[in-house]
Amino acid sequence: MTAASPPIVDLRSGPGYWWHSYRLMVRWELTALRVVLPVAAMVQILAGAGFVLSLGLFFGQVPPRAALFVSTGVLVITLVTIGLVLGPQLIAQQKAEQTYEFLWSLPVPRTTAALAWVTTNLILGLPGMAVALVVALLRYDLDLHVSPAVLPAVLLTLFTGTMIGYAVAHALGNPLLIAAITQLLIFVIIGFSPINFPADQLPGWLAAVHRWLPLAPMADTVRAALTEGVVTNVIRSYLVLGAWAAASVGVTALVLGRRR
Amino acid sequence: MPPAVLAHPLLRRGPGYWLAGYRAMLRFDLASSRSWLATFGVVQILMGAGMAIIYGFYLGSMPRETATFLATGAPTLALIPLGMAMLPSAIAVHKIEGTYDFMWSLPVPRTVTAASSFTIFTLLALPGAAVSLGVAAWRYDLELHLSLWVVPAMLLVSLIATSVGFGVGHVVPDPGITNVIVNLIIFAVLMFSPIAFPIENFPGWLAAAHRVLPFWHMANVVRAALTEGLVSSVGNSYLVLGAWTLATWLLAGWALRRHR
Repeated sequence: MTAASPPIVDLRSGPGYWWHSYRLMVRWELTALRVVLPVAAMVQILAGAGFVLSLGLFFGQVPPRAALFVSTGVLVITLVTIGLVLGPQLIAQQKAEQTYEFLWSLPVPRTTAALAWVTTNLILGLPGMAVALVVALLRYDLDLHVSPAVLPAVLLTLFTGTMIGYAVAHALGNPLLIAAITQLLIFVIIGFSPINFPADQLPGWLAAVHRWLPLAPMADTVRAALTEGVVTNVIRSYLVLGAWAAASVGVTALVLGRRR
Repeated sequence: MPPAVLAHPLLRRGPGYWLAGYRAMLRFDLASSRSWLATFGVVQILMGAGMAIIYGFYLGSMPRETATFLATGAPTLALIPLGMAMLPSAIAVHKIEGTYDFMWSLPVPRTVTAASSFTIFTLLALPGAAVSLGVAAWRYDLELHLSLWVVPAMLLVSLIATSVGFGVGHVVPDPGITNVIVNLIIFAVLMFSPIAFPIENFPGWLAAAHRVLPFWHMANVVRAALTEGLVSSVGNSYLVLGAWTLATWLLAGWALRRHR
């Protein structure tokens, strides 16, 4: 505990205490993950750039539409994989190693723990996203129109992805089950959801299912902020995404708010 | 230990001893991997089928030749990760768990251990390879010309993959480094190798590298056994692969002969 805490030891509430706890938790997360973080960031950057480049080998002559989709889709993937895949696995590991209960015994509001994790994801996701975008711009002749909507789109996508992973990891007890779900999820994200390619290349029923799942709206909101005329009805995507964000926050609050 | 070995306690050589050792080692390996073998087999089949379909999503509608190329690359893509990634990981697990030295204390020739690994990982890879080919042929409505060459081609591909994996697993002392090498191999194979798409799509320097590396040649021999007129100079590929087999065996032999 730092020197700042003794004076407020009796007052464990209020915005000052919350802000102080939040800063402590961000430091806690970054310190706890200091071994994993550089590796994860490297993997993010390599995978993002690799995706963008390997598509060129895949097609030979890359159609502009395919290049646009994969270049913007990869950004979304680098934003959400940490929160959706790595996050639940880390929490599963804490449960397996039995350090999970200790973490909740820390004297901080639980919302600060959740928001510190979202912040960590942002710190991790942004470099990978930036590198993927730069590689894509260098490799392909992209027709990008960046609008200010990129800020809410990126933040909402990151927040929703992180909170869904958080809710799944805290709600499920079995670490092996969490590992299996997240492995399956990465497969679905890369191969079976309209993030890196247009939804009309999926079978009709799968495209219809994706209209109600969070992955396609994530891709649509970010893509709409980076391009013109590619995404239609982006308001709907924001609404679906917002509903998923609210639901995952609700589940997390329910699970973490329980007294044990 | 089976009775056949006990019957010749003084004669630890000869084909009879080797065979008895092979059978015992195979049983030992199967028994010690029974907890994950079935799960892994199923995952392998799902991955094989999934990959064949996913490539199609990325490409959208594609000409028949592209689809044939993709489908006939699928078995090679299914074979390589098992030998090159799973096998060294399995060896690394022995090192982490501290059972590695015990494995080498078993009274069997070291070639028996290699042969047993090759057998298990080849058998594990074959269903995935077959299913991925079948799913791709069905999904893209292809006519394949299966020839008997598919047997030596698949065995050779699996032999090289497992030999490289065996060599890496045993030569590299640190399991952590094994893990990094394995992931780099997978990354290079899945994203930057002319297995599922033509080598003509590759930039000159990368294509030149792939004419020396084994991956393109592995895809060539399998594709030649499944199609007519798509692959030229398959004899050359067999020669290159033969050289790679020899090289990996020398490496593995050196690794196994070292006294500790």
